[in-house]
Amino acid sequence: MVKLDGSEGEGGGQILRSALTLSALTGQPFEITKIRAGRAKPGLLRQHLTALRAAAAICGGKYSDDVTIGATELMFYPGDIRAGNYEFAVGTAGSAMLVLQTILLPLLQASEPSRVIISGGTHNPAAPPFQFVDQCFLPQLRAMGADVELSLLQYGFMPAGGGKVMATIQPCDGLKTLDILDRGSSEELIAEAYFANIPFDVAERELGHISKRLKLPKTAAQVREVKSIGPGNMLGVTARFEHVTEFISAFGRRGTRAEDVADGVADEVRAYLDGSAAVGPHLADQLLLPMAIAGGGSFTTSAPTPHTQTNASTIAEFLDINVRFEPIDKSDDVTVTVDRKI
Amino acid sequence: MIMRKKVVIGFLGTTLDKGRGAERWNRWRPSVAVCQHPDLIVDRYELLRDPAHARLGGVVAADIGLISPETTVYAHNLPLKDPWDFGEVYAALLDFAADYPFDPDNEDYMIQITTGTHVAQICMFLLTEARHMPGQLLQIAPPRRWAEGKPGDYATIDLDLSKYDQIAARFRKDADDATSFLKSGVETRDVAFNQMIDQIEQVTIRSDAPILLSGPTGAGKTQLARRIYELKKARHRVQGSLVEVNCATLRGDQAMSALFGHRKGAFTGAVADRPGLLKSADKGLLFLDEIGELGVDEQAMLLRAIEEKRFLPVGADKEISSAFILIAGTNRDLLQEVRAGRFRQDLLARLDLWTYRLPGLAERRDDIEPNLDYELQRYAEQSGDRITFNKEASQAFLRFAVSPDARWSGNFRDLGAAVTRMATLAPSGRITTAIVDDEITRLRSRWREDGPEEAGNSRAALEELFDAEQLDEIDPFDRPQLAFVIETCRRSRTLSEAGRSLFAASRKRRTSSNDGDRLRKYLAKFDLDWASVSDR
Repeated sequence: MVKLDGSEGEGGGQILRSALTLSALTGQPFEITKIRAGRAKPGLLRQHLTALRAAAAICGGKYSDDVTIGATELMFYPGDIRAGNYEFAVGTAGSAMLVLQTILLPLLQASEPSRVIISGGTHNPAAPPFQFVDQCFLPQLRAMGADVELSLLQYGFMPAGGGKVMATIQPCDGLKTLDILDRGSSEELIAEAYFANIPFDVAERELGHISKRLKLPKTAAQVREVKSIGPGNMLGVTARFEHVTEFISAFGRRGTRAEDVADGVADEVRAYLDGSAAVGPHLADQLLLPMAIAGGGSFTTSAPTPHTQTNASTIAEFLDINVRFEPIDKSDDVTVTVDRKI
Repeated sequence: MIMRKKVVIGFLGTTLDKGRGAERWNRWRPSVAVCQHPDLIVDRYELLRDPAHARLGGVVAADIGLISPETTVYAHNLPLKDPWDFGEVYAALLDFAADYPFDPDNEDYMIQITTGTHVAQICMFLLTEARHMPGQLLQIAPPRRWAEGKPGDYATIDLDLSKYDQIAARFRKDADDATSFLKSGVETRDVAFNQMIDQIEQVTIRSDAPILLSGPTGAGKTQLARRIYELKKARHRVQGSLVEVNCATLRGDQAMSALFGHRKGAFTGAVADRPGLLKSADKGLLFLDEIGELGVDEQAMLLRAIEEKRFLPVGADKEISSAFILIAGTNRDLLQEVRAGRFRQDLLARLDLWTYRLPGLAERRDDIEPNLDYELQRYAEQSGDRITFNKEASQAFLRFAVSPDARWSGNFRDLGAAVTRMATLAPSGRITTAIVDDEITRLRSRWREDGPEEAGNSRAALEELFDAEQLDEIDPFDRPQLAFVIETCRRSRTLSEAGRSLFAASRKRRTSSNDGDRLRKYLAKFDLDWASVSDR
């Protein structure tokens, strides 16, 4: 049984989600203690419970009935991964994308195709938005041999949620290793302001300001009014390169000026464009698991975040895999290499 | 283990929960926010609202369903003409609580007191404190700084914890209601009796321990047991039914199987399984009247059933369980029964935690008047005829009823029978002096027939005041008279009243006399005085 200390590293819900994914994939049960021990509300929250139930559903996993909100430890016993049509709902506009992330890789190993519909928040500030998963992460996963289609049926912003994503996952005969050491040539840079149930001019002002900051032509700035139950607004910039795509976004909220939202995104985009690492911090978090399952891979990224490091150490508990972080001369960047222990 | 469900009961906030456009998500709406906490899953939301706000209620219910797919919302119609009218709101909520299928064994209830009028909030508090709603109070507050999706704070308050005693003490009115309920709504005046009922109310609401009710036949033990059951049921202390049994009717072999049940074929004639009275009272209340009549074997089984909540039906090879609350009634002195070896001491010890002696009606003369009103009302409910006394008739009856001449040996049964007779004979619903006079004659003759039994009681009265040695000093010639005098004193409120009754015949012949003084002198002959005789 793999034993994990939930208070280590990033100390939040990521360690649990990664453990669930790895447990389902490897068939190893695990025990986690001190779940979110250092947080203001320690233990499992609703969104973690949903991830737990989803993981259990796709692999016939078992855990004690008394695991509920506030639980600070649990044991999980995975069974066989089962393809199928699954539907999950996340409360409090919690991220549907994080639940998808938890079960996506295991379902690739099933012998039949699966269809998963998850409702909840598709655009939650505390998680990667749909566009990030769709445009940045999935192309890399496809490059490793996976056949996954993702569609956004409805936008769900905080706080109302009510969004819906659907993923179709085909069986995959083992993932291939992947190396993303440089971006390749620049192909596209566009900004899009998404909004629902708020005044149009907020989106316009965001776009106007970011176009000025990033010197974008008019054709590269799009206003996208979307259907959603509640109000919501996201400004996103897609930087498409030959080998990698980066999506950088921020959410507008009441009391924050449209120009300030645009400035935040612009600063982050500039930092990425000025750097030379191929992979941004968020994508780096997500690439470790598929590379570990593939048995190898590498990428360059800026200094690793606590999320990335937590994922690396959780992987080492389940698999004979090393994740090495090697500094690149004359920069803060690192090369991350995933390979089998010899 | 089955997870306990969390259920919120709360009013729709007609101001705070308002909003129909998308902008509503930019405001803190308490009923929605309750279901938005990342560390709280509400399984069910019981949303109370006036039918006029059905539309708003629908929006709130849909929004809760959206942000909290785990929650099912049920709307309840609570029509209120004036939501600031204390009486109306309280009555409506009480009705709701009485009809609501509370299941505290499997569900946790949170009574949300942030929405609704101030009056509604107070009523919710009162009903929770009095356990009409068996839950904790839920207080919610908006976040200090607004941000999308931030649900703010919530706190639950368990009123069972002692630190809330002070808050609870402020709401005595509701407690008074419960007490009055136990007394069947009769406004009794007898101070000692009222204090006893107060305590029984506390015990009923807070404890599941056995209660022992002693007192003469007709003092109202069965009626009190029924009221205790109803109060416990209203406060969710019992879910099961009330099973009443008079142990005097259980004799021989039948007693065992009637109480504890039997398996098919346990004995000749046992053609089917019989669950038995103890099993029928599972999760409910068992009232064993005349428990002193129970056989010794049954006593042993009963003791085990009380202590272990398990017992063996006749002919069964496996014990079965039943969790019941026991109320025992007796008109015998069980301590004496223990001494005589007829009652188990350990069973008495188990029953003797909360023991209440219900005095006979003769000992509660102040309560005769309120009970007379109650009996009239009861007659009206049963027969549909509303009967009243005329003023002189009522005074005449009461004068007799509270006088030492009225023995009330059958207690409330006598009073009830007297009222029924008078009411039945009343021409056009009015009880007249003539009817009262006839009834007084009837009662007197009835009580004269009770004579021999009374003599036995009188002997007991002498034994209370004198030890064996002193009793030997009193001539057998004097004993019946002294016993009669003592008995009359005990039925009287003052020395003069007792004197007037004892010397009634001589009073008629003389113009003036001091009956009280004459009685005092008589008592002094036996080293007795008013205080020692009347005090018990």
